[in-house]
Amino acid sequence: MSTAFKQASGGMLIDLKAYNTFSQMKKGLEKKLTSVTELPIGSKVSIDIGKKILSNKQVRELEDTLLDFGMHLDGLMSGRMPDLEEDFYEDPLIEGMSHYDDTALICQHIRSGQKKFVQGNVVVLGDINPGAEVVAGGNILVMGSLRGLAHAGVFGDEGAIIAAYRLIPTQLRIATHITRPPDGERNVVDYPEIARIREGRVIIEKLKI
Amino acid sequence: MKSRVIVITSGKGGVGKTTTTANLGTALAMMGKKVIMIDTDIGLRNLDVVMGLENRIVFDIVDAVNGHCKLKQALIKDKRFDGLYLLPAAQTKDKTAVSPHQMKNMTNELRKDFDFILVDCPAGIEQGFKNAIAGADKAVVVATPEVSSVRDADRIIGLLEAAGLTETKLIINRIRSKMVKRGDMMDISDIIDILAIELLGVVPEDEAIVVSTNRGEPAVLENVSRAGAAYRRIARRLTGEEVPMYSLDDPENIMDKFKKMLKLAR
Repeated sequence: MSTAFKQASGGMLIDLKAYNTFSQMKKGLEKKLTSVTELPIGSKVSIDIGKKILSNKQVRELEDTLLDFGMHLDGLMSGRMPDLEEDFYEDPLIEGMSHYDDTALICQHIRSGQKKFVQGNVVVLGDINPGAEVVAGGNILVMGSLRGLAHAGVFGDEGAIIAAYRLIPTQLRIATHITRPPDGERNVVDYPEIARIREGRVIIEKLKI
Repeated sequence: MKSRVIVITSGKGGVGKTTTTANLGTALAMMGKKVIMIDTDIGLRNLDVVMGLENRIVFDIVDAVNGHCKLKQALIKDKRFDGLYLLPAAQTKDKTAVSPHQMKNMTNELRKDFDFILVDCPAGIEQGFKNAIAGADKAVVVATPEVSSVRDADRIIGLLEAAGLTETKLIINRIRSKMVKRGDMMDISDIIDILAIELLGVVPEDEAIVVSTNRGEPAVLENVSRAGAAYRRIARRLTGEEVPMYSLDDPENIMDKFKKMLKLAR
């Protein structure tokens, strides 16, 4: 992978076409800027990102990186029209997890009879009690005990996940899959767990980050 | 056998309507009857928990009456008996989600497939009560031997009569024979004097009920539970069998007598 500095008309052009993920791209840029010292402070730099598309936040991060080295971002060069792009996002923390732009934060215990619906992801800072329901178009993360019902990927996303600090649900649903804990068995664990679909079945495993 | 729709009601809360429904339903299923239990306590459902079927709920009574699913899809088959089903209440809605007219249509549809349709009524005399009694042809009133419970039961019997339900029977729940003997608790005959309806059965106070309720296993499944035995006898009476009434002597008394006899023998 090469990050090449090129003389372009009126400024510098940095070629970052070769990187596949944003984190690699950012590291590549930092590496290149560190290795090159002859650029004057205050230089304007253009970046060629090839066929990728970046979110506003990611563009800002690249700008910040350049500013750390005393340079300004002049422009981004992209080979494709943005509205036709495939999404290009940072590596997800959990492998294979679906991406959603909007995430709702719920800071309360969700009690029996309460039902929360969210279009994208939902993060619950609190518990979900038996008889309560949380339904999300995207992923569900519970920073507490999930004892009630959670339905992730309600619009049919089989890649959606449900993670909880303590996963002891009445019922779990991902996309069109519905599961419940087996009768009689109660296996108590004291670590966070994640539920997702693997080979057409909902499986629960220890959450490793 | 002609199918029967029996509403289990009380007016007062906490006297054991849901426990009675779960135990009678299970006992009837043990006898080979086809039974459906309907939880009409929308918003405060419990019957699913008492039956240990909470985690199987996908559709509920509100989905069924509003056509979001077929009625058969909302029925939950019991994990122990083939002929036993539960129609759970919704938890995230309220009583107005169902109308008495819809309830009547639904119970009539269920008559085709079941011998007994047991309707678990919510506490109170408002919409939930009206829904629960709408499709019923008989009623069972549960009362505990307390003045407040008997007062509410009397009110309920009046409302049932006004709604055309004249065939109402009484279950006296949580009776403590020792307290009755000491005169500290209302006697069965006192209660029947006031309410003037036929006694269907008497269920003794039993700690096993608390255990079984928490476990989601109805007490009738246990041979040692005295309340469970009482419910089994009541279920037999519901099928038309003649079963003698529960005797107030509890096992402790029998043990005491036995000990006394031993002492005398010495």
